[in-house]
Amino acid sequence: MHNTYPLNVEKSFEPQQLTTLWNHVSDDLRSDLGDPLFDRWFTGFLLKSVDSDGVVLSAPGSMYAIWVEENFKESLILTFQKYLSKCDKFRVAVCAPIEDEAPLAVSGGDKVVSAKGRVLSQTISESKLLERGLAAGLVENFRFDNFVPGENCELALAAAKAVADDPGRTYQPLYFNSACGLGKTHLLNAIGWDSLRQRPKSKIISVTAEQFANDYIDGIQNNSIAAFRKRYREADLLIIDDVQFLGRKEGLQREFFHTFNRLNDQRKQIILASDCPASEINSLEDRLVSRFQSGLSAEIHRPGLETRAAILRRKRDDWDMKVSDDLINAIVERVKGNVRVLEGALIRVAMVATMNEGELTTDHVHEVIADICDVREGRQLDAEEIKRAVAEQFDVSVSIINGKKRTARVAEARQVAMFLCRDLTELSLVEVAACFAKDHGTVIYSVKKVKKRCEDSASFKSTVELIKRRLSRGGGTKGPRPNDSMMPEGDRFTSFRNFSSKGK
Amino acid sequence: MKFQIDKDVFQDALNQVQHVVSSRTTLPILSNVLIEADELGLQLSTTDLDVTITMRIPAEVSVTGATTLPARRLASIVRELPTSEIKIEVNEDNAATLRSGPSFFKILGLPNSEFPVIGEFGDAKEFTIDQKLLKDALRKTAYAISTDETRYVLNGVNCIIGEGMLTLVATDGRRLAMVEQDLEFPAGNESSVIIPTKAVNELQRLLKDSGEMKVSLTNNQASFELNDSHLITKLIEGNYPNFRQVIPGEAKYRVTVEREVLHSAVKRVALLVNEKTNSIKFTFADNQVAISANSPEIGEAEESIDVKYDGPKIVVAFNPEFVMAPLRNLDQDEVYIDLIDESSPGVLKIDEPFLYVIMPMRVAG
Repeated sequence: MHNTYPLNVEKSFEPQQLTTLWNHVSDDLRSDLGDPLFDRWFTGFLLKSVDSDGVVLSAPGSMYAIWVEENFKESLILTFQKYLSKCDKFRVAVCAPIEDEAPLAVSGGDKVVSAKGRVLSQTISESKLLERGLAAGLVENFRFDNFVPGENCELALAAAKAVADDPGRTYQPLYFNSACGLGKTHLLNAIGWDSLRQRPKSKIISVTAEQFANDYIDGIQNNSIAAFRKRYREADLLIIDDVQFLGRKEGLQREFFHTFNRLNDQRKQIILASDCPASEINSLEDRLVSRFQSGLSAEIHRPGLETRAAILRRKRDDWDMKVSDDLINAIVERVKGNVRVLEGALIRVAMVATMNEGELTTDHVHEVIADICDVREGRQLDAEEIKRAVAEQFDVSVSIINGKKRTARVAEARQVAMFLCRDLTELSLVEVAACFAKDHGTVIYSVKKVKKRCEDSASFKSTVELIKRRLSRGGGTKGPRPNDSMMPEGDRFTSFRNFSSKGK
Repeated sequence: MKFQIDKDVFQDALNQVQHVVSSRTTLPILSNVLIEADELGLQLSTTDLDVTITMRIPAEVSVTGATTLPARRLASIVRELPTSEIKIEVNEDNAATLRSGPSFFKILGLPNSEFPVIGEFGDAKEFTIDQKLLKDALRKTAYAISTDETRYVLNGVNCIIGEGMLTLVATDGRRLAMVEQDLEFPAGNESSVIIPTKAVNELQRLLKDSGEMKVSLTNNQASFELNDSHLITKLIEGNYPNFRQVIPGEAKYRVTVEREVLHSAVKRVALLVNEKTNSIKFTFADNQVAISANSPEIGEAEESIDVKYDGPKIVVAFNPEFVMAPLRNLDQDEVYIDLIDESSPGVLKIDEPFLYVIMPMRVAG
């Protein structure tokens, strides 16, 4: 029995406790505000829930909700503080009386569950789960049980599991960032699947920011923006991948801001992933940056040697390949890139092994994957990669950088690209000039100019630094990377299968 | 396309339409004004995809056609031109040349085919309404619109047609302004729509003090056709909360006061408003109201004005800006303040169908 105040808000409250608490609070408010005022505004109000995030009241009408929230916020918070260990936020929701939710609050016998209704731990058949998950936009094979843990992603994985267990109450929002190919999307989907398994009735939406944008544009075009909002704003779990795509899109950001707020207000879980920290997303409104930063931001680093080996062993077993542990060790020693590159290397080694039908030595392996190592080890950037990153930063297209246009912005972008080519690659002046179809004098001039501007303008310098950082992380652009693997992504697996069956 | 036009006419029209153009937009075409020339003259249109304004103006058109030109730039050029006649010619590449006396300008536009087409009004409710009536009603309510974007249904004026009345309401949760005008509409036009702030502002600019206009409403769009201009806006989707819940019942006491006297007194006293509580105190007693502000670290101000009031002494505190906003936007000489007690909402009324509910702030002691 909790007759003593203050009550600890970390614990869950039974309906009975909520009623008693509200009686106390209303008595205090009544004597503070006076009968007429209290009766005028608070008749029909109920205490809906209390937890560490604050207090939620339910109001009999939306206008009451708004006016009470605007005009009695301080009185309410002060009064609640007398009875609760902590109360700095409250919210008024317009909802049906609390009785309607009774079935959710009690499940069999004396087991009382948290106010959020986590009682729904009913089992769901795998086929149903699959059907619902795919409908929600989840990718089939990305689950927690096939995610290879490692020291590079301890925090991210722990946060992901915590959120899947208790969405909307732990980290809000959860924000993953890492260079490409390190497992963001895998974790996002794993949370989705696990959450769906635990709460089959919850509404999950998993999309990339680009899909979100397309849906929004469709909504505008077809005058069905209400349907769009309904879909996104009523989700229980919203997963958005590649949020860097929101950069520089103001209308979209505004829409997303409102979606975010709505879900956040209702304590629905939002999970985001991006290839850079929120503060580095190009032209992202401050209010969004601060919201993205308000929860937990977990970075996934490049995997270490052991983790790389563990990942490849897992892949080998999954794909049923005949590659010895020694060969895998040989691969991971040489290939230090992201997981996709590792997979590419493994597939190549496996193919060669099947073809030769003989023993492969580690030297063979090094030979087979030599070109992959070359690309990744020294982070040998090429001019095209630099152009892409610069183009993205300056909001122009690569073809414009290659072209003859000489407006200030384009010229500046081109100069920065030349400067970075000289700075980050081994290319000679003449070679750089050839990449841009200019002569080497232009390159010299550009390099000088950029250096000068870096000295003169701190903001310009930080822009150049930002591009450099992105390039060195290898996650700056999402463009195609011809050297990532020897086969197009989608075909990688099937081709290997075909090949190996032929070999048998 | 080629035409000759009077500078003032062109400048006025560009000023009217350019407010819609947002300075920062992702679609370049939205910074442009669509210019269509036919035998009757010019038609100028701008849009931000939410609000679209079209104006018709007379011009001597020698070659018909259509193009789009950067709206802000065009307006600032036209404003500075030295003579009253402007000749404009646009080639197939949408490059426009402007000649006016000794001045020559060439500006580059975008093809008119890129300009967004605004949705058709299929099954709309249509009626006509007096321009001045709507203009007044908007002016009396628009200042109470909420700017809190998280409560988007409140980011506009709720416009209700039905039961022989036109009702306009705006509120931000601390005050509420409402106009309720008797008006007979043809049967079947009952509706309740939320007109967004931007459209409200533009409408107020376009509406004249005489004449009628045609209104068409669908579920998500509204169109307002005036003599020479036309505004189309998206409506805010959602249900406006039931505002009658916050309008207090019968008042016990009525204070009658001269609007301008009250306004200027509040304005003066508010200079010393307490920044923390942001409220000033009104003490009503014996045909007088004493308005006072007191902030410990700044100082204090007090002003008494004569009113008509014979009830008991009532002390009530209001946010001064919330008191001044309606006073600024009304034009009657006398206003009434209806009170119940110190903690109930006050209601400001005039001799016309208008009311303004304002929540008192809580006064210590």
